[in-house]
Amino acid sequence: MKVTPALLVIGALLTFWASMAIMVLLPAATMHPAPSSTWRPWSSEEEAGNTLYVQNGCSYCHSRYIRTNDWDLGAERLAEPGDYVAQEPSILGTERTGPDLSQAGGEHPDDWHLAHFTNPRYTRPQSLMPAWKFLGESDIRLLTAYVQAQGGRDADTRISRQQRWRTPAQEAYARGPDKNIEWLHDQVPHGWLAMPNPYPPLPADLARGEKVYQDQCAGCHGPIGDGQGLAAPYLNPVPLNFTLLRRHLTDGRYLGGMLYYQIMNGITGTAMPYFKRDLESEKIWDVSNYVAVYFVGYTDATMEPRGIGAAYEPAWTNPYTPPQTQPAAASQPAAAPARTEPR
Amino acid sequence: MSGMWRFLKKPEGPALAFMVSGMLWFIIGTLYGLVSAIDLVAPDFFANIAPLVFGRGRPTHVNTVLYGFVTEVLVGCGLYYVPALLRTKLWSPPAAWLSWLLWNITVLSGPICFAGGHTQGREYTEYIWAFDVTFTLAIVLLAVNIVMTIANRRENSLYVSVWYFTGMLLWTAGSYPIGNVMWHPSTGAVAGILDTVILWFYGHNLPGLVLTPLAVGAAYYVMPRIAQAPLWSHTLSLVGFWTLVALYTHIGGHHVPQGPIPNWLKAMSTIDSMAMVIPVFVALGNLWLSIRGRGGKLLADPAGRFVLAGTVWYLITCVQGPIQSLPAVQRVTHFNNWVIGHSHIAILGFAGYIALGAMWHILPLLSGRELYSRRLVNLQFGLITFGLVGFFMVLTTAGLIQGGAWNNGQTIYRVLPEIAPYMFLRAVMGVLIIAAAFVGFYNLWMTLRRGRVIEPELREEALS
Repeated sequence: MKVTPALLVIGALLTFWASMAIMVLLPAATMHPAPSSTWRPWSSEEEAGNTLYVQNGCSYCHSRYIRTNDWDLGAERLAEPGDYVAQEPSILGTERTGPDLSQAGGEHPDDWHLAHFTNPRYTRPQSLMPAWKFLGESDIRLLTAYVQAQGGRDADTRISRQQRWRTPAQEAYARGPDKNIEWLHDQVPHGWLAMPNPYPPLPADLARGEKVYQDQCAGCHGPIGDGQGLAAPYLNPVPLNFTLLRRHLTDGRYLGGMLYYQIMNGITGTAMPYFKRDLESEKIWDVSNYVAVYFVGYTDATMEPRGIGAAYEPAWTNPYTPPQTQPAAASQPAAAPARTEPR
Repeated sequence: MSGMWRFLKKPEGPALAFMVSGMLWFIIGTLYGLVSAIDLVAPDFFANIAPLVFGRGRPTHVNTVLYGFVTEVLVGCGLYYVPALLRTKLWSPPAAWLSWLLWNITVLSGPICFAGGHTQGREYTEYIWAFDVTFTLAIVLLAVNIVMTIANRRENSLYVSVWYFTGMLLWTAGSYPIGNVMWHPSTGAVAGILDTVILWFYGHNLPGLVLTPLAVGAAYYVMPRIAQAPLWSHTLSLVGFWTLVALYTHIGGHHVPQGPIPNWLKAMSTIDSMAMVIPVFVALGNLWLSIRGRGGKLLADPAGRFVLAGTVWYLITCVQGPIQSLPAVQRVTHFNNWVIGHSHIAILGFAGYIALGAMWHILPLLSGRELYSRRLVNLQFGLITFGLVGFFMVLTTAGLIQGGAWNNGQTIYRVLPEIAPYMFLRAVMGVLIIAAAFVGFYNLWMTLRRGRVIEPELREEALS
């Protein structure tokens, strides 16, 4: 076959435009997905947030769809074509240097986002996201509105739950540190409150707990657990000062289960997120022991009640005695029964 | 004024201009790449310097190396070899100068506009509408110029390089406006999930219908010349050319794997991605069989070595590409640095190497001056090769760590510390590539200023 100029020009154009018809025109003619069950239109604020999302290249690190093999943020719902109706542009993204955002709405309250956008390392010390402080607070609020809209009606449900618990959490904080902790304890199922940490805080466990704490928790609660992390000035209510727990042990001795539950589940309405996706069970027990030993100066590890000890558990005697608490100190037993035998 | 006009009418002017500006964009584009690499090592290094935050620096890097460096250098080569192969002169050098101007205005809009957040944000279609217009005009003008050059040819048969160069211009004149949704000037996008289909139709036409025809066309020109051997098969050239445009245009859906696009699009893009081995192996087979037994000539020639290595990168890229389009593979390789490794060997490895090699080969023919330094070309080759091989290995490793961990239930935050050392190594490798860009620009500049003038009769001999 001899390639003449006519064959070259006409053939090249025909092949290309035929492909275009199949790959663009046919989808354009056939793809008219109905809005999905969670879809809702964006408000003008959320639209403005989308514009900022596009302008600042957020889509180079964040995707906006969940696949069947995803486990992280948003993995409770697979993406549907009807999730993106009327959004223009609706950039789905090709990289996940940060988490998928398709269901990010309502995962965190607005004050967490303000701290996180100002400098992501304030809330998540390991984040690689740029600090967006230079955009100014009004743009950060628009971006926050956009993130909070991700997930549509499902996000709205999460937001309303955040808002439902925000007011009581703030009121409790306003009543003073002791009342605040009492309120926080009241939100934990009783079974967890009266549960000791089942694992001993051996040096290796504490070293692991320290790593988890400094990587995941120090941004808000501070490197020394006093609640004075870099994010704290942005948050309302502020992060807990762990040293206060010393006078708020359940039954005068328990705090392990309470810490575990709050770390696992987060405290909706406050900036405290859940860590059940980031941390496996042992890591949560380790960081609970770290917080207890280093910041409270006491741990209930391996105390009664407990079941059969895990097979690998080494023998360990809990040397800590519950701190004297006032004013109810007199009614507390002088010392917890120290265990000498692993069970 | 008439002196100016005489300058604009010099036939070699636009080709040289595209090469010089392309090599300048190589420096600027890779410097932005380094900034983005540093952002991923130490995110507060450029804290609150708006133009350098990752979300603004990365598109500047990508668009500048793509549309600026690689494409401009390859277009510069084409503006030389197309008239040369047709034994004629470029139809209108002033029109080609205008294309050069419009093209560079477009590329320049990247660093300027993206710094202030003026972008349409969709990957590879970030330039705002006004500069989509300048780019489209540049392409259409070039297409007219080349078609008219063909019409005024003195050589009857059209060599395969001419097909590819002409095809690239004709295809891009349609592909770019569609991909950029130029009929929606404010967003450059259509609403809803359909936008993703259109975006990735274009997204893969960019390597497929812009870079590949330019680079393969240049390789078809340079390799047989340096090897002093005829083309092995005209038939294979035909198969490679027509399957390229027929298949490459169907595979964009593989950028949205397991995403909410119709299944028939996913199936089609996966199958045609696999079928891409046809145009790739046909072109590579044809090129390598043409130089069979004469590979030493290419290795001994600094420019030939670049082009030969570019074809090797083409092979690696296009074996990796189809494999990673398979859904089972993509579950691990998508969304992470594996893909960044792949895109770098495609654009810098395959198209970039051939662009540099073809430029070093054509530069003496075009300027009438010998290369200022063959050793600097070799140094550039060494720097890029060390940098890119390291870059590819580092990013592929980081990607496998990310993808494997995610697939087994780890969260993004847990995996970020695992890739930290690789992000550091990537930045180090990037420095070598930037050094190569500086060495290349220096060598190009010094060739044009100081290169030994080739005797006219020798030049005629080289041209024939």
